[in-house]
Amino acid sequence: MMKYVVLGSSAAGVNGVRELRKLDPASEIVLISQDKEIYSRCILHQYLGGERTLERLCFAEKDFEQVYGITWMKGRSCAGVRPEEKAVVLENGDIVSYDKLLIATGSHTFVPPVKNLKEAKNVVGFRNIEDMEVLKDAAKNAKNIIVMGAGLVGLDCASGFLELGVKVTLVEMAGWLLSKQLDKRAAESYQDAFAGRGVKQYYGVGIAEVVLDEDAQITEAVLTDGTRLPCDFVVVTAGVRSNVEFLEGTGIELSRFGLVYDETGKTSDENIYGAGDVSGTSPIWPVAVKEGIVAASNMAGVPRKMTDFFASKSTMNFLGIPSMSLGDVNLEGEDIEVEVRKTKDSYKKILHKNGKIVGAVLQGDLAYGGILQQLIARKIDVRKVKKPIFDIDYSDFFHMKENFEYYFEEE
Amino acid sequence: MYRIKIDRSRCIGCLTCVTACVVSHETESTDARNRVVIDSETRPAPIFCRHCERPECVYTCMTGAMKKNPETGYVEYDKEQCASCYMCIMSCPYGILKYDSIRNVEIMKCNMCVHRTEDGSANPMCVEKCPMQAITLEEVRE
Repeated sequence: MMKYVVLGSSAAGVNGVRELRKLDPASEIVLISQDKEIYSRCILHQYLGGERTLERLCFAEKDFEQVYGITWMKGRSCAGVRPEEKAVVLENGDIVSYDKLLIATGSHTFVPPVKNLKEAKNVVGFRNIEDMEVLKDAAKNAKNIIVMGAGLVGLDCASGFLELGVKVTLVEMAGWLLSKQLDKRAAESYQDAFAGRGVKQYYGVGIAEVVLDEDAQITEAVLTDGTRLPCDFVVVTAGVRSNVEFLEGTGIELSRFGLVYDETGKTSDENIYGAGDVSGTSPIWPVAVKEGIVAASNMAGVPRKMTDFFASKSTMNFLGIPSMSLGDVNLEGEDIEVEVRKTKDSYKKILHKNGKIVGAVLQGDLAYGGILQQLIARKIDVRKVKKPIFDIDYSDFFHMKENFEYYFEEE
Repeated sequence: MYRIKIDRSRCIGCLTCVTACVVSHETESTDARNRVVIDSETRPAPIFCRHCERPECVYTCMTGAMKKNPETGYVEYDKEQCASCYMCIMSCPYGILKYDSIRNVEIMKCNMCVHRTEDGSANPMCVEKCPMQAITLEEVRE
């Protein structure tokens, strides 16, 4: 009987367990996680804001262990791996052996090298349920919370606090919020909406230094342009780093981003697989889910490859404004054509080059927008479609399999 | 499982299926969960949820609101659990999904009209009302 060990109980780990159980019903599966609950990190802001209970953060079956017949060692962390013995070592020295191991340990908050920030006590990330408990507490007393970074997580944080009536200050190095996802025009909708709700925002500047009192509490933040802001709490949302510290010295190949594995999920050790944020390359939910499924499938002896490498995509819904972002929405160049369609309630921009769409931003109206991801990811030449580029739909690509599923013909 | 078979050659683009969908679901915004669009050669194309074997909307759902039922094969949507993040809209390769047009909260997702039967089996009103038998309910193997 095969014994699978899965490290991590988020998107990649949970879906890995599901696939292992589906393909190998008789196997022994051990799930080891630091998390004591299965919860979705993408909706933590709704927990902070009191819109969602811990129970409703769970994205899996409530009785996950029973449903999949696994042993779940929760609240445990991994201190090392011994590939030659096929065993993992836990924080207290316990040894757990495996036949196949899936590493889906995710990532942690990256704390940028800002003067005094590492020493400060009133600073936290926005990643774990434990962070939310700290922030719920901070919301009661803190008067001047600064959120470092106005990306997707920073804005989640600002939104969650608004639900509690707390107006944070956003400090962002880029020229506008969500600079990776949106153009200036689309970003301004959110900037205006946040400003209207009392959120102060600073763009094009970073935090150069935080000033600490004798108890290592931040009292002030100094921006790179010299502006001094009163501050009694900092939330860091400036990216993540993969959780691979426990793999150092094991001989398992790591890159400067994280764990290295191929399109089947296999690492440099043939009994060890990886999935999700731990790669440090595409830290988004759907990639983690698919990598978890692909790796587990190969672990169980059913060959499968990761095929979806298009990861520059996101949707958002801050303060009731829906947006979708695909590809590069800020490309410039002589051969880049930009088309814009505006209505009273919506803004759409599509960038294309030689008949192929390379980027799109939709705001206010996302209906049926899924087709755009395929057009971009599959590099489909849309010149054959005799319609405005904003109105392209699946009708011009319509194909049905014998089981009546749709598909795209390979170009 | 059962899936709605589409015979494009029979479809005349009358939109009876779209109306049937609205009637069946009684959604406040009267949005449909299916649509019929016209291609570059002006031929109608019924675009209906396929309840995919490997559903992108499920893979991308970060709340567990979108789930594939292992027994029926249908992709089910739980609007109470949904966080209205819209990732499913972006992920559907065929551009089938959208949100309701009044509150922008609920995803307009086909449920095979299982709410119309006592035992939870499929009974899609679009199929029942199609005057051309362009859409029919068929058993398929996944």
